[in-house]
Amino acid sequence: MSLAERMLRIDRRIIFLVIGLCTLLPLLFPVGLPIKISSEVRGVYDYIENLPEGSVFLLSLDFDPASKPELYPQAIAILRHAFKKNLRVVAMTLWVSGTGLADQILSQTAKEAGKENGKDYVFLGWSPGGSAVILNMGQDLYNAFPADYGGKATKGLPVLAGVQNLRDVTYAVSLGAGNPGVEAWYVFGKDKYKFELGGGCTGVIAPGLYPLLRSGQINGLIGGLRGAAEYETLIGQKGKAVAGMDAQSATHLAIIVLVAICNLFYFSLRRQQRRHDGLGS
Amino acid sequence: MMFLRRQLPLLITMVTGLVMAAQYYVPHPASEQLLTTVTKWLQIIGGFALVLGITSLFHVHASKIRRKEAGWAYSLVLYVGMLGTIIVGLWNGGKESVDGALTSFGWVYSYTLVPLQGTMFAILAFFIASAAYRSFRARSREAAVLLVAAVIVMMGRVPLGEYMLPISGDLSSWILNVLNASVRRAILIGVSLGAVALSFKIIFGVERSYLGGGKE
Repeated sequence: MSLAERMLRIDRRIIFLVIGLCTLLPLLFPVGLPIKISSEVRGVYDYIENLPEGSVFLLSLDFDPASKPELYPQAIAILRHAFKKNLRVVAMTLWVSGTGLADQILSQTAKEAGKENGKDYVFLGWSPGGSAVILNMGQDLYNAFPADYGGKATKGLPVLAGVQNLRDVTYAVSLGAGNPGVEAWYVFGKDKYKFELGGGCTGVIAPGLYPLLRSGQINGLIGGLRGAAEYETLIGQKGKAVAGMDAQSATHLAIIVLVAICNLFYFSLRRQQRRHDGLGS
Repeated sequence: MMFLRRQLPLLITMVTGLVMAAQYYVPHPASEQLLTTVTKWLQIIGGFALVLGITSLFHVHASKIRRKEAGWAYSLVLYVGMLGTIIVGLWNGGKESVDGALTSFGWVYSYTLVPLQGTMFAILAFFIASAAYRSFRARSREAAVLLVAAVIVMMGRVPLGEYMLPISGDLSSWILNVLNASVRRAILIGVSLGAVALSFKIIFGVERSYLGGGKE
């Protein structure tokens, strides 16, 4: 077996080891390369930045723990920004397995910002129906969520004063890891109830949301860990996303190098085979 | 009997489909009230669907355990995990935390579900790297274009890539915003037109597979 053949059939545990080291080492020894801000992320940041105090901001945390590494830092950064701007935060989730995580994120950031439950923010929790919940909230928010996650009646909560349905929401952001997520919030929410919408998502599904972004159906998009890192940079509170960018840089580079090596040996093997076939004939 | 099994569901589907499609264009309060009621029904049906799904899952795995089919031990783990979580969840009234303190249900969620799902997703990085090494080869002109685009986007999405090749950021943005968005839009329009056609087929009873039992 030639060297090229041996290299193309390399033990995958070696690749696993390379990726493992590329993830671990930058986390232990961070470099902190500068992060360039994209117009997609700036779209969400600028809109929140320009909202007047007391505006109703709805954050739908449509993800489960599988997407925590990418969407958790996004949620933390957006909530920190919203609380800093003294917006009235209404949080919820369309993913039942994400309820506990969403509650933890909101409680943690609210505590950090010294915000009061029911007065400055509310967590509505989860309700069955998927996309139908959005329609129901658009018709009557209290019909969709008669009580908040803690069991307190939503009607009469100071944070929801003057809010009857989604038409009274100033800005909504869905942090989605799939369906229902950003697309459902546009189709069943923004299109009918006319509120401004922004999105956040995992890196894998971000390319699929660019048509919505380009047509103005969403006014900004925070994509993956990179998007979260950009948002953390914008609010000036560097967290888990910025810390993870060095690891992501190293793993991307490792994959590029691996793909280049694989192609190098692939072409070398092909040339060898052609030469061999030529000699044979 | 045939009327109840076939004609009545078809009639309900047709009337509901036509009424709800028309409702979107009628802003009258009565029409809005209808939508409010129907969406509440949808939520209730969604709740029932969840119960139905769990019951079906229990049924499938119970028969696997009974027959001692291959991998029946995994079904047993599923049973134990699910029943245990349901019991703990009911015991705590579905609350993961009370006044900031984790309940036992919250403990199960935070220390089993969260790390397990996180781990499953994280190991993807290792498998993607291995798969990329083995199959991402410029075998044809199209594959070479894909390879170059992928490398540019991978470089442009991380600070190290932008540092090494400053133009990769703008190039990556152009690929995502122009090439990717236009192709995705074309696919979206195609899928949407397909969905409209399928909806009409369901509303007018041409497509009946949702009734079960295959086509008549």
